Amino acid sequence: MNTTVSVTIDHTSVEVPSGTTILKACEQAGITIPTLCHLEGVCSNASCGVCVVEIQGAKSLVRSCVQGVAPNMNILTHSQRVMSARKTAVELLLANHPADCQSCSRNGTCELQDMAELLGIRERRFPRTRAPALPDLSGWGIVRDNDKCILCGRCVAVCREMQTVSAIDFTGRGIRTKVAPFMNYPLAESPCVSCGQCTLVCPTGALTERDETDEVFKLLYDPDKVVVVQTAPAIRASIGEALGMESGALVTGKMVAALRRLGFKYVFDTQFTADLTIMEEGSELIQRLTTGGKLPMITSCSPGWINFIETFYPQLTDHLSTCKSPQQMFGAVAKSYWAEKMGIDPAKIVVVSIMPCTAKKFEAKRPEMRSAWQWWNEKGRALEPLYDVDVALTTRELARMIRRVGIDFERLPLENFDDPLGKSTGAATIFANTGGVMEAAVRTAYELVTGKPLENLELTALRGYEYIKTATLDLNGTSLNVAVAHTLKNARVILDQIAAGNSPYAFVEIMTCPGGCVGGGGQPLGPSQSKIEQRQASIYQEDRNLPIRKSHENPDIQALYGEFLGKPLGHLSHQLLHTVYKRKEKVET
Amino acid sequence: MSGFPLESRAILGSTLVHPTVPLISVGLGTCGIGNGASDLFEALKKAVDGSGIQIKKAGCFGFCAEEPLVMLYYPEKPILLFTQVQAKDAKRLVKALESPAALDRAAKSARGKISTWDFRTLRVEFGSAWPEVPQWNEIPFFSGQEKFILRDCGLIDPENIDEYLGIGGYGALFKALSTMKSQDIIDEITQAGLRGRGGAGFPTGIKWNLLKNNQGERKYLICNADEGDPGAYMNRNEIESDPHMLIEGMLLGAYATGADHGFIYVRAEYPLAVERLKIAIDQARKAGLLGDRILGYPFSFDLELVCGAGAFVCGEETALIASAEGKAGRPMPRPPFPAQKGYLGYPTDINNVETWCNVPVIVSRGAQYFRTIGTEKSPGTKVFSLVGKVKNTGLVELPLGTPLNSILYGMGEGTGSRKRIRAVQTGGPSGGCIPDFQFQTAVDYESLTALGAIMGSGGMVVMDQDNCMVDVAKYFLSFTASESCGKCAPCREGTSQMLRILNDITTGKASMKDLEELEQLAYTVKDSSLCALGQTAANPVLTTLKYFRSEYEKHIVEKRCTAGVCESLFEALCENSCPLHMNIPGYLALLSEDRIEDAYELTLRDNPLPGTMGRICHFHCQMRCRRDSIDEPVAQGEIHRYLADTMAKLGRDSAIWNRLAQEKKSDTGKRIAIVGAGPAGLAAAFYLVRLGHQVEVYESHPKAGGILRYGIPAYRLPKDILDHELGLWKRLGVQFKFNWRLGKDGTLDSLKSQYDAVILALGAQGDRKLGVPGEDLPGVHPGYEWLEAFAQGKIKKVGNRSLVIGGGNVAIDTARTLFRLGSEVTVAYRRTRADMGANSQELSGAEDEGIRFEYMIQPEEIIGGPKGVTGVRFRVMKAGGIDESGRPKPVPTDRVMEIPCDDVFVAVGEKVQSEMIAQGGYKVERDGRIVTDHLTGRIQGNLYAIGDAVTGPATAAEAMGLGKSVARSVDQALMSRSVFTDLYIPYDYPKEIPLEPSTHPMGRPKLVPPEERRGNFQEIALGFSGEQAKIEAERCLRCDVRPNAMSPWR
Repeated sequence: MNTTVSVTIDHTSVEVPSGTTILKACEQAGITIPTLCHLEGVCSNASCGVCVVEIQGAKSLVRSCVQGVAPNMNILTHSQRVMSARKTAVELLLANHPADCQSCSRNGTCELQDMAELLGIRERRFPRTRAPALPDLSGWGIVRDNDKCILCGRCVAVCREMQTVSAIDFTGRGIRTKVAPFMNYPLAESPCVSCGQCTLVCPTGALTERDETDEVFKLLYDPDKVVVVQTAPAIRASIGEALGMESGALVTGKMVAALRRLGFKYVFDTQFTADLTIMEEGSELIQRLTTGGKLPMITSCSPGWINFIETFYPQLTDHLSTCKSPQQMFGAVAKSYWAEKMGIDPAKIVVVSIMPCTAKKFEAKRPEMRSAWQWWNEKGRALEPLYDVDVALTTRELARMIRRVGIDFERLPLENFDDPLGKSTGAATIFANTGGVMEAAVRTAYELVTGKPLENLELTALRGYEYIKTATLDLNGTSLNVAVAHTLKNARVILDQIAAGNSPYAFVEIMTCPGGCVGGGGQPLGPSQSKIEQRQASIYQEDRNLPIRKSHENPDIQALYGEFLGKPLGHLSHQLLHTVYKRKEKVET
Repeated sequence: MSGFPLESRAILGSTLVHPTVPLISVGLGTCGIGNGASDLFEALKKAVDGSGIQIKKAGCFGFCAEEPLVMLYYPEKPILLFTQVQAKDAKRLVKALESPAALDRAAKSARGKISTWDFRTLRVEFGSAWPEVPQWNEIPFFSGQEKFILRDCGLIDPENIDEYLGIGGYGALFKALSTMKSQDIIDEITQAGLRGRGGAGFPTGIKWNLLKNNQGERKYLICNADEGDPGAYMNRNEIESDPHMLIEGMLLGAYATGADHGFIYVRAEYPLAVERLKIAIDQARKAGLLGDRILGYPFSFDLELVCGAGAFVCGEETALIASAEGKAGRPMPRPPFPAQKGYLGYPTDINNVETWCNVPVIVSRGAQYFRTIGTEKSPGTKVFSLVGKVKNTGLVELPLGTPLNSILYGMGEGTGSRKRIRAVQTGGPSGGCIPDFQFQTAVDYESLTALGAIMGSGGMVVMDQDNCMVDVAKYFLSFTASESCGKCAPCREGTSQMLRILNDITTGKASMKDLEELEQLAYTVKDSSLCALGQTAANPVLTTLKYFRSEYEKHIVEKRCTAGVCESLFEALCENSCPLHMNIPGYLALLSEDRIEDAYELTLRDNPLPGTMGRICHFHCQMRCRRDSIDEPVAQGEIHRYLADTMAKLGRDSAIWNRLAQEKKSDTGKRIAIVGAGPAGLAAAFYLVRLGHQVEVYESHPKAGGILRYGIPAYRLPKDILDHELGLWKRLGVQFKFNWRLGKDGTLDSLKSQYDAVILALGAQGDRKLGVPGEDLPGVHPGYEWLEAFAQGKIKKVGNRSLVIGGGNVAIDTARTLFRLGSEVTVAYRRTRADMGANSQELSGAEDEGIRFEYMIQPEEIIGGPKGVTGVRFRVMKAGGIDESGRPKPVPTDRVMEIPCDDVFVAVGEKVQSEMIAQGGYKVERDGRIVTDHLTGRIQGNLYAIGDAVTGPATAAEAMGLGKSVARSVDQALMSRSVFTDLYIPYDYPKEIPLEPSTHPMGRPKLVPPEERRGNFQEIALGFSGEQAKIEAERCLRCDVRPNAMSPWR
């Protein structure tokens, strides 16, 4: 039914498609209706009461975000009644919101703050009626501060609808209502997978990444430390945006320059170990295919996803590739191979990673992620326990650091990563996008299996925003069914098939966040599909820009195997690059 | 009903409802059981054993105040209704059914009888007998009720489907299946104009049509039985007493809309309703009334029960659906409406219990029949649960359009005490508070909404003068605030802020700005909440603000809760009820410690006439004394009389007067004129002079005291006591100008220009007239005028036979004065003794003296000629229903009587004589009362008024209280300061609650025997002895001992 209806908005007649919400109709008419809870495609909870408009003949004000237009509706968007209700709604929310904007991590990016400004609120009209709440610092990736929560419901919607995790929900009634895990458990004891999608949609500082920038500055100022940094593939297409450039701005060289100016001694690239991952994971796939191993094999780069399968499908963890994620491979390699090669005391090396992801913070603190330390111990070098990766920062935290020291990012020259852990291929770059790990693996696996060069590198069937994509690949005559899924709701579809025993796939890639790492929970705020698609496009651009586009052709990877690891899936690989995924346990924090 | 497959069971059932053997039935609803009906049932079962008498359980007949209810039936006789039956009565009741003669004897103690009963689907004649026993609907509680929904309740066994079949139940279903198309039923419901009984009043027919026209793989019907408002329980009883009525209604709805699944969402707090519904559903299923191919027709419907955990918000339909689906009960935005996308995503229709219950009768008797009940826009009946401060609590079912008056005073019979109904809350926490001056309103959807209330599901909470309206709003709001699901900001945060403000108001912490904020918030919450809970949550606040705003203002400005509910605003209930706010527990405690001087001084600072008032006060304090709940109140007044008399006798009071004179605030240079030296004017002068103002009191009489001197006879208040106490004013330097008349000796304008403030304390001395022929005859005397003339020595002689007309204190004072002058006195009053306005001690004193009283007669003509009166002809009255004063209304009979007499004294009330004030351009009420700002007492500019002239005839204490509070506001206005509390000094006295209350009964002073009273005016009451006073003081329970006890006056 492509009919239109005619409505009057602020005395002006407008034609809009039937079924349009009043909010959208107003947008078409050039009127922006403010909202605090509504988020297109994420949440239409109708809870905040800010988007109210007056409709002639209606008993009370209506919420424009959910109410559809009706023929001949006479809508007033800024009558005195409307403006007073809007302002009061926000003033009411401010009553139980702490007045600590200056020290809030969302200072300047807070939607509540903006709304208060927009509506001309100049005093805190109402006092508190709710006891102050203490923040929940139990989760390594995400900090919850219920005191700042305005109960809009976006986080609950994203956690339930997009991720099917439902780690948090509304509890209590009346003024005691809050968003909390089951039975008010700390987040760390909840099913939360640390994906951080909630931090992207939260309008205030109630849900944020754990900010570790001060910790990193402290390390950078410590003369006894050799601080190295690795940057995930997605960062080059998002750090510019976080610093005010257009969405998806591709800024690899400037990013390297900025990190060097911040004081990182060596600027490396997680893409180096992404290539390494392909070597190991591709080999593992071939091994499983040829020796009757557990299939389908599922990628293991996305730590939110790992948390999800460990929590909700623990019986299927055998399907995971045993490869660590590129972040963790990097830490292990840096503190073993590279430390030895450079002759630096591993205890002095600090590995900081820049990730698009809040779950990476959690992953870095998994107790088993201390392979380099174990490796040194076995070599007879007794060290205090150390993690392979010391600190994982999100894109947003890096942007904060760059701003804080006053670097004019856009005027930076383009610089290159340091060697040898800085060289990478186009295959590693596309790890940032949904379908990218699969595509990169195929580029290598095809050539390893067939011994022939792959003609068309770009697997368009596995690109794009579609949530589940499948393809059948021809590997020397054997056809290989593969699937790619992003967001955990869609991961469930794949897993349920596996659990039911009717999965047609041999190899599956799953990423936690929409669009892959480019849509990660550590990325710039204000998520939208179009922004994510712009970042994806830049990543594919980077792939095309790079001289080498297949992981096994990376000369430094070849050197790593030659000098140190021997061969993929060899003894050292197992010690440093692989792990065992199991049922989720509580982590020490 | 030919062809009805269940006809044989219906025949069996009808013999259970109308048997050929004697039958006892016991009302076993939750309220009956709560009052001992289960024990009674067991006792009756034992007693009937082997007697051939049947016994059965029935539902509730609705008269909660009189539970347990028992009905006795003997073949061919009316059913006898007995109320408040206990287990010990079992044998007696069973005996009554042993023979017709025994039954005739028992009928004498029956509350009522039922000769015929219209079950709406069947009419039953039980028999006729006992003309002296009222028919059930002649009992005030049932009179005017229309049992449409409650037609079977209390008469059939809710756990036996056969009885429901026996009175024609499921006949409507059979009629529908066998003769009607589904659209026919919807049309019938639409034509009947049935509206949702959940409270919103949406037309049921339209709702059903929506469901019918929505296509779905399945369709659901839901019965909303989540009755959650405090004070409402009609749905519970409808289910408990007649569950099949609901099931039949839903079956008809299912057939009409094409729904094949249904459930009843009932709160788990209704265990008996749940149990009876389970039994009923099971019986209906076994009888082929639920399931596939119902009664053999191609129609299937199945019904389940869903128990809700009792969240108020789950009465909202989208929240109810969420809860039924197993989710948290939080409302969803609409659209989509349930008819589009409801339970589990299927098209769904939700109706309230009572809505469903209307359906079988409409289908059975037709829309036209239904429309004969109720009003054009709101046809049918509505069941209300009448609770709170009302004598007859219970379930009342009335035709829509019945005025509130008929419900409250007719069916409810008022408060059952001398207290007045102030307001009624309809619709529970979502409803509004309707004030007494709107009680003529007809109860229907539109008129209640127009008042700011709602019909709601039918809760009706009655409130009297002891209910604080701010507290009422706070109570309901605290309910909705805690029951708010917390989803939407305006409701969650808004109700919480409103509650904060209400808490501040009731604890004396709020300002007038908060009141504005409260009102603005209330409108916003109403206007922008997501669901009906929030949209209506503000109604109790908005309506109380609309109708009782002055009470809010009193809490805020005066920090005073007149009703004595908001504990933080007073020390003790006695102190709060006292218009002068005397610190009663304080002086009682001081007296207990033998600190008579301190006790006197403390008393004096609150009340400058302790000896006088201790004799003649109405003792407002005693009316709220908590000791009354043990035996009788503490005689606080006698004690302050004792203190004053003792101090005067010892000659020690003047030292304290001197102390007050010495601590007068320094001269402010302000001059204040007070017109009138009665209690109000004296009180105002006392405080204003101590605050440092120069006070001059103008009085038309030759002496001060007003009514105390000229109205109250000396046997109650010896004038030397008054004269002595007036010495205090002289000591304080108050100037008096006697024999000065306003208008004659000076004008208002001249006073206003000479003084910084002018306070009018004119009193209310104009006698009201009877308005009957003969009132102008010689020998007819206005009561108050005569008393005043007597006090001034102008009356020397009276006739032999005096007739006093009236029932107030002036009437009694006149009668007792006449008695002392040797006349033979009769008092005629148009109501009963219990309804008299006079003090009960005065009344019994008059009776002791041998004064004759004639009640229930109303004068029609004063008979006589130019020589004088010879008598008065009266109409004999009888008691009618309860009127708005809470007393039975006198209704004329066809009888008249005549009382011969020589003089007639008309004492039927006084009024304010304020013609001169009105001529000055100031506003006065129709009855003459001067209009002032209720917080400051200001008329205009520097002109104020106090006392009876403002309130109309009131007590001396009330007049003094107003004088005191206006003195404070005058000082504030003149000086822009707030120093009133400086007039008090703290006393250190024990703050301890007695471990055990004293066992002494209320002390009574010695009285002069009646035979010694004729011919003299000596004081009757001789006062307490020292020992008596101490014992009495120790009877105090010390309610003032609590952390938040605070008086705004000290």
